[in-house]
Amino acid sequence: MNDSTLPRTLLEEDSETLIADWLERLRARWHQQGAPGDDPVILSVHLNSLHAALCDALNEPRTTPFALDPESRLARELGELVHHQTRQGASAEEVTDLVSALKPLLMKRMEPMLHADPAAALPLWLWLDEVFERLLGFTFAAFIETRERIITQQSLSLLELSTPVLRLWHQVLLLPLVGVVDTARARHFTERLLESVARYEALVTIIDVTGVPVLDTSVARHLMKTIDAARLLGTRIVMTGISPEGAQTLTKLGISFSEVTARASLRAGIAEALSLIGRRIAPLEQARP
Amino acid sequence: MRRGELEHGPRSEPHPHGVETAATPDSLSLSITVEADIMAACREARLLAERAGLDRTATYHVATAVAELATNLVRHAGGGRLSLRRLLTPPGVELIAEDRGPGITDLRLALSDGYSSAGSLGCGLPGVRRLMDTFSIRSAPGEGTRIEATKWIRP
Repeated sequence: MNDSTLPRTLLEEDSETLIADWLERLRARWHQQGAPGDDPVILSVHLNSLHAALCDALNEPRTTPFALDPESRLARELGELVHHQTRQGASAEEVTDLVSALKPLLMKRMEPMLHADPAAALPLWLWLDEVFERLLGFTFAAFIETRERIITQQSLSLLELSTPVLRLWHQVLLLPLVGVVDTARARHFTERLLESVARYEALVTIIDVTGVPVLDTSVARHLMKTIDAARLLGTRIVMTGISPEGAQTLTKLGISFSEVTARASLRAGIAEALSLIGRRIAPLEQARP
Repeated sequence: MRRGELEHGPRSEPHPHGVETAATPDSLSLSITVEADIMAACREARLLAERAGLDRTATYHVATAVAELATNLVRHAGGGRLSLRRLLTPPGVELIAEDRGPGITDLRLALSDGYSSAGSLGCGLPGVRRLMDTFSIRSAPGEGTRIEATKWIRP
C-alpha cells in the first residue's frame, strides 16, 4: 500500500451508503438526546458536500501533524454546517456529533486493511485519529464562535431597543426605563437623554422607572448621575413609577432623591410636567369659549 | 435539547408569578464575576424568595440585598460566590456572600453610612444590614470576606 494516498475503499467507494449511515447515526444520537431531529434532506445535502470536501482534503499529500487550513474547502464546509446547526440551537454535544459520528464508520471500513496488513494500516489509522481530533477541535471552536456572535448581537440589539427618549410634548421628554440598569445601559441612556434635552431644549424630563426590576444603590447612583447631568442642561426632572416596595427599600438603603420631584404614577408625572411648563390637560368643553 | 434557548432575551417580566418549568431548587450557589452576573443573581433571588413565601416587600428587600452584595463582589473582591438558601424552621431565606478578595480593613467604617472606597454612594453594606433581619460579617485584610444575612417570613 502506498503510504501517501488514501485507499479508495475508505471514503470514496460506495459513498452513498457511507453518507446514509452517517446521517442515520447522527439522527439516532440526536434523537436519543431528545433533540428534535433536523430536516434529514437539508442535513444530507450538507453531509454530502462535507464528505466531498473531506475526500479532497484527505487525498492531499499527507502532512504530519495534520493541519486544517481555515481557508480550505473542508474548513469552510464544516464551519458552515456547524454555524447552521448552532444557529438552530444545537448543543455542543450535538455539534461535535457531526464529526464524531463519522469516525467509527471509517474505522470499521479500515478493519479489513488492519487484518490484511497491520504494518501498513496502522500509521494510516493513527493519522486518521489525528485528523478527527483536529476536526473535532475545529468544530468546537466554530461552535463557540457562533454562540459568541449570537450573544454579542443580542446584547447590542437589547441596548438599541430598550432606551428610547420620547418627546411627550413641546419641551417635555419622557425616558421610560425598562429592564436592568447596568453601567453600559446607564451610559447609553444618559447619552441619548442629554442629546435629546439639548436638541429639544427640554424644560422638563420625566424618568419613569416602572420597568426597573430592582432599585439598589448602583442603579440609584446611575440615575443620580444621569439626573445631575440632565439638570446642567437646564431640564427639571420628574421621577415616576417607584413602587411602594421600591420606595421602602430605597429608604432602608438610605438613598433619598430629595432634590427630585417624584410622582407615584406616570399619569401624575405627566400632569406635574405639564404644570411646570404652564399647561394642563383639560376637557374640551372648558377649553372652548 | 433546549433548542432555541439563546433566542430568548432576559426575562422582561420582573414579577414572574408563574411556576418555573426548570428545576426549582431551594438553594443555589452562584459564581459572581461580572456585572451581568449581578442581574442574574438578582433574578434568581427574587424567584427563590417568592417560592419561599416572602411577601412583595420582603422579596424586594432580598433581591436588593443580593444586588448590593453581588455588586460588592464584582467591584471590590474581583468576584466570589453568592449562595441563597430557603430556610424551613423558622421559615426564611438566607444569603451568604463569600469572596477571597482583599478583605475589609475597618469593618466599622465599611458598615457606616456614606463611607465608600470606590466612589459609590456608600450605603451598600449598611443598607443590606437594614434590609435583612440578621446580618453578620467576617473579614480580615488578605483573607476575604464572608457575609451571612437572613430574612424571616413573618407569619
